[in-house]
Amino acid sequence: MEHHASELSKWLTQVLGLSQHSWGVFGHGAPLSVLERYDHLLNALLAACLALLITGVVRARMKQVPGPLQQVLEFVVQGLKDLVGDNIHHHPEKYLPFVGTMALFVFFNNLFGLLPGLSPATSNWNVTLACALVVFLYYNFHGMKEQGFLKYWAHFAGPIWWLAPLMFPLEILGLLSRILSHSLRLFGNIGGEHMVAGIFFGLLPILLPVPLLAMGLFFGLIQTFVFTMLTVIYLSGAVAHEH
Amino acid sequence: MKKFLTTAFLFCVAVAAFAQGAEPSATASFFAGKYLAHLSLAIGAAGCGLGQGKAVAAACEGIARNPQAAGNIRTTMIIGLALIEALVIYVLVAAFAVK
Repeated sequence: MEHHASELSKWLTQVLGLSQHSWGVFGHGAPLSVLERYDHLLNALLAACLALLITGVVRARMKQVPGPLQQVLEFVVQGLKDLVGDNIHHHPEKYLPFVGTMALFVFFNNLFGLLPGLSPATSNWNVTLACALVVFLYYNFHGMKEQGFLKYWAHFAGPIWWLAPLMFPLEILGLLSRILSHSLRLFGNIGGEHMVAGIFFGLLPILLPVPLLAMGLFFGLIQTFVFTMLTVIYLSGAVAHEH
Repeated sequence: MKKFLTTAFLFCVAVAAFAQGAEPSATASFFAGKYLAHLSLAIGAAGCGLGQGKAVAAACEGIARNPQAAGNIRTTMIIGLALIEALVIYVLVAAFAVK
């Protein structure tokens, strides 16, 4: 995939006077500085800082009668609480901080596609793969913690013992392919959306990209919801006690 | 249906004729290049569209019959749509990888 450095990273390269050089196969020929090559890290860091700043400010100035920003965040937290509570029946509040953090991180990253000069970090597979890997490790860890190591892995062998040699490898394959599908879904949607918006912007920079930006806002929300929802579903599947 | 089959047959014949007429290297580049990636993306998008249309139609019908279940149906529909959409996203990623 062609690498387009964000305008912010180009500007920072100029301001800081970073040296540009070719990155071989991965740089696609054109000389890039470190910041331009790894601009998704810059964008991800910015998004994380923005999320921390907004939530931190609201947290510090919490009031009995909420202002607009606090009201929005209360709505988000309540929604996440309901989402986790509906799907996980055993101590759902334990998983809320992780799920909420992932949701906020992904959401702010998705929205960075709408700002001029920035590109969404989630349009780079490295970022979404990292998110999916963290989610994967998290639900496996909690599955083993809740059910016990042996019981958790025996769960993949299925109920019939003589089918276990067939079922176990297939289930493990399915488990591992979740990382791929979870990360590629977010990456493909946001990356594709960003690319289409870029092409339309190239065709006619006035007025034409406006509906696409609105669509970008909507898709960013939907993809965040899907990512969070799947996280919760994987988590509920891992920690569910069988009765 | 007959018309579609005829068109598909003609398309195959045309491709075969093209493959026979052209140089081997040109044929290879035609099949291995981005044209095939674009074509596969079109096929994938068509199937995905059919599947998603069916899912949304069923969800609408369900909500119309029982509006109280709208929240649950909507959530399930969005997850289903995301899972269907993932397939065409794989084709998109594969198309980029080929290109």
